[in-house]
Amino acid sequence: MIINHPLLGPRDAAEFVYLGDAALIDRPDWQAEDAAEAFHAYGYLRDNPAGAHQELWYHEQGDRSWLVVTRDTVSHEITAVELARDVARARGRSR
Amino acid sequence: MSQIHRIKGGLIDRSTEISFTFNGKAMRGHPGDTLASALLANGQRLVGRSFKYHRPRGIFTAGSEEPNALVELRKGAAQEPNTRTTVAELFDGLSARSQNHRGSLEFDLMAVTDLLSPFLSAGFYYKTFMWPRAFWEKLYEPAIRASAGLGRLSMEEDPDTYDKGYLHCDLLVIGAGPAGLMAARTAARAGARVIVADEDFVLGGRLNAETLEVDGAAGADWAAGVVAELAAMANVRLMPRSTVYGAYDHGVYGVLERCTDHLASSGGKPRQVLWRVYSRHAVLAAGATERPIAFGNNDRPGVMLAGAVRAYANRWGVAPGRRVAVFTNSDDGWRTAADLAAKGVEVPAVIDTRDAPAVCDVPGARHMRGAAVMDTKGRKGLRQITLTDGQMIDVDCLAVSGGWNPNVHLTCHQRGRPAWRDDLAAFVPGHDLPPGMVVAGAANGAMTLAAALREGRVVAERLGYADKSDLPRAEDEPRDCAPVWHVPQSRARAWLDLQNDVTVKDVKQAHQEGFRAVEHLKRYTTLGMATDQGKTANIPALAIMADCTGRTIPETGTTIFRPPYTPVPIGALAGRARGREFRPYRLTPSHRWAEANGATFVEVGNWLRAQWFAREGEQGWRDSVDREVLMTRGSVGICDVTTLGKIDIQGRDAGEFLNRVYCNGFATLAVGRVRYGLMLREDGIAYDDGTTARLGEHHYVMTTTTANAVTVFRRLEFARQCLWPDLDVHLISTTDGWAQFAVAGPNARNLLRKVVDESHDLSNEAFPFMACGEVTVCDGMPARLFRISFSGELAYEVAVPARYGNAMMGVLMEAGREFDAVPYGTEALGVMRIEKGHAAGNELNGQTTAHNLGMGRMVSRKKDCIGNVLSQRPEMLREDAVKLVGFRPVDRATGLIAGSHFIGQGDAATMENDQGWMSSVAYSPSLGHSIGLGFLKRGDARMGEILRAVSPVHGREMEVEVVSAHFIDPDGERLRG
Amino acid sequence: MAEYTLQAEPPLAGTEMEIAGVRLSAPADLAVVSLALPLGGESAAEEAVKDAYGLDFPGIGRSALAGDGTRLIRLAPDLVFALFTHATPDAERVVAEGLKGAVYTTDQTDVWVALALSGPNTRRALERICPVDLHPEVFGVDHAARTVMEHLGVLILRAGADDYLLLSASSSARSFLHAVEVSLRNIA
Repeated sequence: MIINHPLLGPRDAAEFVYLGDAALIDRPDWQAEDAAEAFHAYGYLRDNPAGAHQELWYHEQGDRSWLVVTRDTVSHEITAVELARDVARARGRSR
Repeated sequence: MSQIHRIKGGLIDRSTEISFTFNGKAMRGHPGDTLASALLANGQRLVGRSFKYHRPRGIFTAGSEEPNALVELRKGAAQEPNTRTTVAELFDGLSARSQNHRGSLEFDLMAVTDLLSPFLSAGFYYKTFMWPRAFWEKLYEPAIRASAGLGRLSMEEDPDTYDKGYLHCDLLVIGAGPAGLMAARTAARAGARVIVADEDFVLGGRLNAETLEVDGAAGADWAAGVVAELAAMANVRLMPRSTVYGAYDHGVYGVLERCTDHLASSGGKPRQVLWRVYSRHAVLAAGATERPIAFGNNDRPGVMLAGAVRAYANRWGVAPGRRVAVFTNSDDGWRTAADLAAKGVEVPAVIDTRDAPAVCDVPGARHMRGAAVMDTKGRKGLRQITLTDGQMIDVDCLAVSGGWNPNVHLTCHQRGRPAWRDDLAAFVPGHDLPPGMVVAGAANGAMTLAAALREGRVVAERLGYADKSDLPRAEDEPRDCAPVWHVPQSRARAWLDLQNDVTVKDVKQAHQEGFRAVEHLKRYTTLGMATDQGKTANIPALAIMADCTGRTIPETGTTIFRPPYTPVPIGALAGRARGREFRPYRLTPSHRWAEANGATFVEVGNWLRAQWFAREGEQGWRDSVDREVLMTRGSVGICDVTTLGKIDIQGRDAGEFLNRVYCNGFATLAVGRVRYGLMLREDGIAYDDGTTARLGEHHYVMTTTTANAVTVFRRLEFARQCLWPDLDVHLISTTDGWAQFAVAGPNARNLLRKVVDESHDLSNEAFPFMACGEVTVCDGMPARLFRISFSGELAYEVAVPARYGNAMMGVLMEAGREFDAVPYGTEALGVMRIEKGHAAGNELNGQTTAHNLGMGRMVSRKKDCIGNVLSQRPEMLREDAVKLVGFRPVDRATGLIAGSHFIGQGDAATMENDQGWMSSVAYSPSLGHSIGLGFLKRGDARMGEILRAVSPVHGREMEVEVVSAHFIDPDGERLRG
Repeated sequence: MAEYTLQAEPPLAGTEMEIAGVRLSAPADLAVVSLALPLGGESAAEEAVKDAYGLDFPGIGRSALAGDGTRLIRLAPDLVFALFTHATPDAERVVAEGLKGAVYTTDQTDVWVALALSGPNTRRALERICPVDLHPEVFGVDHAARTVMEHLGVLILRAGADDYLLLSASSSARSFLHAVEVSLRNIA
């Protein structure tokens, strides 16, 4: 597989480490009323789509960036690759 | 024996003769020969015995699809079984032996199995050897293994080396026949980076095997001209002897290049290279494979595919027989007849299943219209054929043409499905090709030369490469084909899969017994499961299954095509990864010192660490380890602890970041101080521990365990980039940058005073337990000093730039001479940490919580941190949870066993009564008996209780007493002293 | 206190060979210091670098050579490596002083070992281990990439037409040298 790194261009997937669903960015608020529930869902519940899937890849043998890769789980086609940091900020994460 | 079957012509170098042996018999051939063509030239028709029935077999094809003529090549350790003679290039001194027979090839003692064939039909393993069960391992399997099978391994280590590599191109052309060469030339002339890979050692594909002309010249000459043009271009890489064996995601292709297989010796160079080719586009121009027609006794040596017979005559100047009949259902078979006749080979008959006029004039041949071959004679080589009308014709070779199958394999490697074309009676590539792949020529169903050349150009143009030159002129040779898969009048067995001995009858039996889906058919009969993967067998077999079920062939479908296209040696897949270089290894900075001082090394991940340092007179490792522990606790010991992960953490928010990744508080850590930290996983399970030192206002150094150094770094980056992207924190690994040594024992300070420069005050007041700082050693060398202790002794860790580490070890030992300082290895380190009750990998095993480890109170509830919320789940805080405690044997002379489970006195040793487990044990030389750490339900409240430690694995149990995990210095006086 | 002195023993010191027309050597006294750009302080960092080295920040995956011989390699948006020849173990302090606190500096000298390869066959040898496309039109002079070779993390830099510098972890120096050396022998 090839991942087209947004800063570095196409790189072999061998340089990357896979983590899983990009929903892992959305870590719940520890002080929320339903924190236990929310963390349970965050930790254990995943969608398993046959089709487009946003997932986290880490460029360990590269620039050490975490990426959000949109990949079709059936065809392996990759339609988007973004820096996870940008995605996290866009989803409202900050400090 | 001389080359009695040589005829004129061919692409061989007749000016040079080379010798080789087959079963010890000396034979001669020419450069340009394959082993198959040379065997045929020498009149050797019988080449091997079949897999199951030990039937005599000969050469069937002229290419990589060969099912029959497999041999053991080379001698000694280099011996390779199951080599296809049809692709083995002849070299001087080549030695080949036939395989799968007991006794000689001519008189195989196992040929008796052929007489048993009524009992050995499809599924016979499953039916025959079911009972009694115990007989399988002892009787049936060894007997079957001895009688079935192919070549033998040498049982020696492969003496050759292999390599891997990476190539990049705009266009990968797979197959260098007319279509491939046209596509390559078009793209290359347009400036593209082109790779042309072909499994053959001469590029040109069928052009080398046919008498067809291109632009008025011999096809082979035209091909050679294109190859020469391509070879001269800097943007083209020609790869003969290179099989594209797999099509993978995103334009990645696997290519096996055979570098030295055509040479007598590899000369120390890699025998084969496994390339990973990254391509923007690929043109599959893999041609087509001829298929046989099944009829009675169609497996005899001398029955060959017609296109192969033609190839031997045209390319290699070999007539596979003196009287060669042609049996065909298509126009193509006629070309074999015509080419042979033109070369003076007697062609007594062309037997065409079609009731149609002759396709061309074949001098001397009778044309048998609407006829078929139904049986053959000749035990060790074809002598006679019998036609369906009863006529018998004496021949020593029968060229069979059942039509051609486009080589669609690579189009299906990503689950693509081929499409059936009625006009060709063959599968062609479907519409679901691997992205970036286009198909041209015969592989795409363009079966004539003119069409192949045209398609090669067209697909390159479609990819954006233009070449305005005229298309080469060639003819659209007649290719009409009327499919016939099986001659129904045949009474004798009719073979489909020659390599796995699967006959038409087996397929019909599979149908009768309900194994009708192709995937079931395959597994029940083993059709297509041999090393040739059924390249010549599968389509005829599923045509017969279609006939049985009354479905069409496309309805019946094909099995899934998977890589590799042809076999890839395990050695090539392993590449360089063998022996010492199986994976990279890491050495500690003091490795050389340790080597010179008697260290025994242990692999810890990729690291090699000193395990202990044996001294003369010591009887075993325990002697060394016990001494290292006692001398360290008695005075001072030194251990290289560089392998612990070190992460340099800087930034305005570094402290806040640490506070969130450790479960305990870090906000209050002062500059110049170290703190123990425990990391949890988000699910609340303990993950890793270590110490973090604050070197400056915005500067920390974290240590991780050796095992988790890489993954902790990864998690920290995740937290930094994905969870809190606006914290100003920066991480960089410095694990390899600092040589770090533990200096432990009551004389640790005294020793370090001799090494650390005098300006630094090491007194307990100035540099107390858990202090850290940047110092200088040995007159100005920058160093870092941490007062931390894993052993429980007064201890420091001192770090110097790694390139000074080996010297530093020597200096510490030299300075420690007056204190009788001792180097210690990982075993003594482990003993001392168990004596002190420190958790390590056995305790942080991915199942335990801070609560289990007795560190529940460390988990701060006043801040957010990873794992905080889920660690508070009621199940994780159960009052009866297991707790880390110490154990000692009631009988002090007994050795505890790690992995034992705790069972109450009088209880049965069952899962229900399980109260926990022993995680670490060691012999404590300090205490003089075995000690253990373990997890016990409510363990912290059960001091003094006697339990049984049961190890069903060892069949042993013993009584143990629950004690504090801190066997040594429970109040910590030593490390604070 | 001068009783004890420490001698440097860099893992690949003295490596010097020529195979397949490629000169393979371990540069002596190559110092490596990482510069991390503070969040929000990127332009100040850029200014400081310009003052100290007379260079604009190279783009990601690119490097630039300063007048004093220091090569700055931009590895990530917020990470730059400075490579320069410096024998004593105070490279980080030297760089930090020059940049006046505008970046976070970490000494990386002993984290890495370096191998320099030069000669027209270099690219052909590196084909055996380097997954990155090194075609001259793709990987130009001054380009740099971190990638993986024979399971080892490697920073590869094209320093000249046929000159490459490879950096990998110092603890696995022997495996690294082996990987590169075998690649040369296999094409010789």
